[in-house]
Amino acid sequence: MTRYVIVGNGVAGVTAAQAIVKAQPGADVHLYSAEPYPYYRRPQLPAFIAGEVGEAEITHRPLDWYEQQSIHVHLARAVVELDPAARRLRLDDGSSAPYDRLLLTTGGWAWMPPVEGADRRGVFTLRTLDDARAIRDHARTVRQATVVGGGLLGLETARALRALGLTVTVLEFSTHLMPRQVDAQGATVLQSILEQQGIRVLTRTSAAAIVGNGAVSGLRTQDGRELPAGLVLCAAGWRSETTLARQAGLAVNKGIVVDEHLQTSAADVYAAGDAAEAHGLLYGIVPAAIEQARAAAANMVAPGSAVYSGTLPFTTLKVAGAELTSLGSCTIEDESLVQLRHADLPRQQYRKLVLQGGRIIGAILLNERERTNPIKQLIERGSDVSAYADRLLDEDFDLRTLL
Amino acid sequence: MAKWECMVCGYIYDPEKGDPDAGIGPGTAFEDLPDDWVCPDCGAGKDMFEKMD
Repeated sequence: MTRYVIVGNGVAGVTAAQAIVKAQPGADVHLYSAEPYPYYRRPQLPAFIAGEVGEAEITHRPLDWYEQQSIHVHLARAVVELDPAARRLRLDDGSSAPYDRLLLTTGGWAWMPPVEGADRRGVFTLRTLDDARAIRDHARTVRQATVVGGGLLGLETARALRALGLTVTVLEFSTHLMPRQVDAQGATVLQSILEQQGIRVLTRTSAAAIVGNGAVSGLRTQDGRELPAGLVLCAAGWRSETTLARQAGLAVNKGIVVDEHLQTSAADVYAAGDAAEAHGLLYGIVPAAIEQARAAAANMVAPGSAVYSGTLPFTTLKVAGAELTSLGSCTIEDESLVQLRHADLPRQQYRKLVLQGGRIIGAILLNERERTNPIKQLIERGSDVSAYADRLLDEDFDLRTLL
Repeated sequence: MAKWECMVCGYIYDPEKGDPDAGIGPGTAFEDLPDDWVCPDCGAGKDMFEKMD
């Protein structure tokens, strides 16, 4: 019987395991995770820090789920070596595990900027449930926090810390918040909403040094400000976890390089999720991890049966008073593109469409929920909307008539 | 009617409540939601939902 082995118990690993047993009931599936927890939802960790959801609620797949699915899960069991020639893994207890088809869903790790004092107590990154617990526990003992990085994770965690009653300052190195998901004009509206929630935002600066005597007591910015802080969260980005793949000699660029079938450079070894670099891209979003995992699982069961053609970038930031959705290529500035914008500051709304050759290729929608579905569809279908370009963002124009 | 859960963010679609913000009235089964309906919390499509036991 074919032995399927998956390294990593995040959304990609669990989705693939489930897809394999669904496609081939009774399949021999083994899933290894260095973490001791059954699958939990990483995007909910900020809400966990805020105390809005508990551990049971974010644990989407409790242990008995694996049992019901007949998936052999090995928790707190790190894979330390991959030998693709022998089709064998070595585990951290010294034992080894053979495979016929292997899937690497090793995820990513939070990047810590090389800042003096980053090793002080009270300085955190957020990636795992253990990180979230430590942040939550520490947040109870302090009053002020600084978040380094004004991207999606930084802002969601800033919101969570604010909900716990802390004074929060966010530092964003770029000219504006969420530079990958929103343009300068949209970020202005977003920033004003955050400031109304009591979250202070400083752009064009970052941490120069984290100061304190053992524990952190403050942060010095690159532009010379001294910010008192008992907690510093670095949300300055992430990197793919590629150690195992590199050591095994697989092709690795920023992530583990995979082809359109999610296969790596080694036979019968696949990769998906944050660890994988597909079509030259690191997606870093859950929908891409799920779509990649499904395609990889299909190909593990029946080689060559599924092609992964890419995922429409889609992120949503939800903080009180703001729901910001970014779709597709929404922040590129190029003379060949048409940029349509509409800002309504009093209503805290902003909408922007990016058109290329008459087709919508990206959108930024702030507090524009009813427009999200139709625009997502128009992008995915590649519909030519050039005849309506001057009316697309009108208040009373119903985008659904174009579908 | 069954509830459906978003695999991405944990949002639960409750057919008894519907999704009024998106014009989905109470009593709408998940299966009857339009194909372009997306998760109100994270924007994931219908195929990212799973039926709850």
